[in-house]
Amino acid sequence: MATFESAEKFEEVLVGFFKLMGETPAIADKLLASKLIIRFNYSDPDLVVVVDCSGDKIDVRPHDKETKATVEMTMSADIAHRFWFGKVNLTIALTRKEMVAKGPIPKVLKLLPAIKPSYALYPEYLEANGYGEYNILKKK
Amino acid sequence: MGGYAGQLLYIDLTSGSVEKKPLDMQLARDFIGGLGFGTRIYLDMIKDNPEVAALAPENPFVIMTGPVTGLKMDGAARWTVGTRSPQTGFWGDANVGGFFGAHLKFAGYDGIVLTGKAQAPSYIYIDDDTVEIRDADAYWGMDTYATDERMKTDLKGQSKRSGQVLAIGPAGENLIPFASIINNKRHAAGRTGMGAVWGSKNLKAIYVSGSGKVVPAQPDELKALKEELKEVYEESIFIEALKASGTPAHIDVGIISGDVPIKNWLISDWEGMDDIGPGAIDEKINVGHKTCYGCTVACKKEAQVKEGPYKMEKGPSPEYETVVSFGSLCLNNNIESVAKGNEICNRFGMDTITCGATIAFAIECFENGLITEADTDGVKLNWGNAEAIVAMTEKIGRRDGFGAVLAEGSARAAAKIGKNAADFLTTVKGLEAPMHDPRSAHGYALAYGVSPRGACHEASLNFNVEGGAMFIPEIEALSMELEEHSSDKRAELNVACQDYGMFFSSCAVFCNLGSAPLNATQAVAMVNYATGFDYTIDEVVEIGKRVWYLKRGLSNLFGARAGDDRLPKRLMTMMEEGPTEGSMPDMDRMLSEFYALRGFDENGVPKKEVLEQLKLDDLAKLLHGG
Repeated sequence: MATFESAEKFEEVLVGFFKLMGETPAIADKLLASKLIIRFNYSDPDLVVVVDCSGDKIDVRPHDKETKATVEMTMSADIAHRFWFGKVNLTIALTRKEMVAKGPIPKVLKLLPAIKPSYALYPEYLEANGYGEYNILKKK
Repeated sequence: MGGYAGQLLYIDLTSGSVEKKPLDMQLARDFIGGLGFGTRIYLDMIKDNPEVAALAPENPFVIMTGPVTGLKMDGAARWTVGTRSPQTGFWGDANVGGFFGAHLKFAGYDGIVLTGKAQAPSYIYIDDDTVEIRDADAYWGMDTYATDERMKTDLKGQSKRSGQVLAIGPAGENLIPFASIINNKRHAAGRTGMGAVWGSKNLKAIYVSGSGKVVPAQPDELKALKEELKEVYEESIFIEALKASGTPAHIDVGIISGDVPIKNWLISDWEGMDDIGPGAIDEKINVGHKTCYGCTVACKKEAQVKEGPYKMEKGPSPEYETVVSFGSLCLNNNIESVAKGNEICNRFGMDTITCGATIAFAIECFENGLITEADTDGVKLNWGNAEAIVAMTEKIGRRDGFGAVLAEGSARAAAKIGKNAADFLTTVKGLEAPMHDPRSAHGYALAYGVSPRGACHEASLNFNVEGGAMFIPEIEALSMELEEHSSDKRAELNVACQDYGMFFSSCAVFCNLGSAPLNATQAVAMVNYATGFDYTIDEVVEIGKRVWYLKRGLSNLFGARAGDDRLPKRLMTMMEEGPTEGSMPDMDRMLSEFYALRGFDENGVPKKEVLEQLKLDDLAKLLHGG
């Protein structure tokens, strides 16, 4: 069974987290330096979110299917959720096509150190915003 | 028949005899190539003298290519070496990239079997049919870079085409037990001390030049497969990452799961990591790309440090294993010093994993007061002291002062240092563990434990499959779902990774990196199109199994027993925080399941009937009598 019961709930949780990342200098500064525009295509539930790092600040735009993205990332909502806990083996996910990435992959991979603080941030964010039921670390 | 050159060279350095024997095609069918040939031939040669010492003239040394070696394809440049290891005392082998294997086949040989000991420093000159043992006095004492350059200059015009040099450095000459053999300054037969065996034979180098080519049996089918694989490679992010940053690309991924060891395996996260990660490497030291024969992946990088204490000329950039062993393992965030350590190891001809891990071990001894500056000739072996790390690397290569203690590797150094130094060891069967933490993936623990050559992530395909770089959907055990931080199913996984892995990287000799996108159907098809044989997946797995038992059996013959399959305390200590917090491989369970699956007795020796079923009756007799 999928972790998120609806696209609305997934959007609420994820977009809120992306915005928090955009407001966290340790993460945002490095993302902005990349100038990438990343479109995330999620399934089960379906959701499209663009994270635009090409301007002065991180712009998070749900449902944006129009902007020409430099990178397209496609995965299930569950994989995305586990990823932000640092609980997805990226090599396995990419080899087995549980995650599909299109675009300048070396640039995307170089963002991994930048987003590393987000793995600790995500469970804290869930707890602080009333999404504790989705905190897989707590359940464990 | 295609793929093979069709001959093996037998060279006895004591008598100076050179014999060319046609390749036995039944051997080819039954063992495919590489260490399939190597282990079978080696066992045949030592069966009357199974006590043979690693550095004795009687210890044979095999150099073997595979049927795909030298085909102009991605990941098809590799070849193998094997013999009894002076470092572990057990079976030792290495899988090497570069150009030597391809050129050996161009000269008309699938492999070389070396025996004996030359009376004086010698090198072997091969130019197609011309094979000579020559005086190497002019090269003895030279590092591998100088040997490569000087020999190519000296022999220019003598051979029909420009040749390849495979050489040892001063470490091999001085019998350092983890000495390597180097081709083209960068491609190393790194692990288990193969270079020391050459040194013991007074063999400095082999120069090979060939004017032939490798002709596949079914060129049209092979061409079509190459075309099909183009799309597979284009879609592979693993390959794209290798192309961009080489093997250090793994640092950014591995640090998330706790795979990257830090501070001699004591912690799993460190603020200095980004300073030695792929971004920093690309920005600070990398200046270009290099590749192996015929491979477009080009994962080898070229580095240069233009000024400062770690100045180095343009040359090989450190691989992932070296970045971690000289970097995070020693809490050293100075990437230029890591590049310098890499250069020193390559020049002297030393395995960077063992060398870096031994220095990290020594640092912990120093920090804990087991050794002092009085022992280390004044070198302050503190965590992160880049200057000391580089200085000690050089001292090891020269066997100078305390360097002579560490030149024996960490296990023997611990015995010499005494007290509780053994607590800081990371060795299995005397071989230092590679830079992948088994607490992040429990199957690695079993893989390190039961590997015939000691702690090694490339001794089977376990690292590639459990780590995720390879996915083999045709074989159930290589495509099953695995629970994170669990020891469940790891015995079954390891058996499958050993059997298929022996076919893949030991016999056919595919590259574990450049050929990682191949599934089993594609890999077997490539071997069939190269050779003209009609192997099935089941058949190559059966051959792989036979070769794995040969390697294991050779190590058993040399004394390996169940106690040697255990991991050191350091790797079996639970992390208190970080991605692997609370994760501990269940070695008792995994070993018990593995022994049952493999048909081992309680001593860790394959039972007689198991070996006989695999048509290894001679090995069964040697191990069990009768």
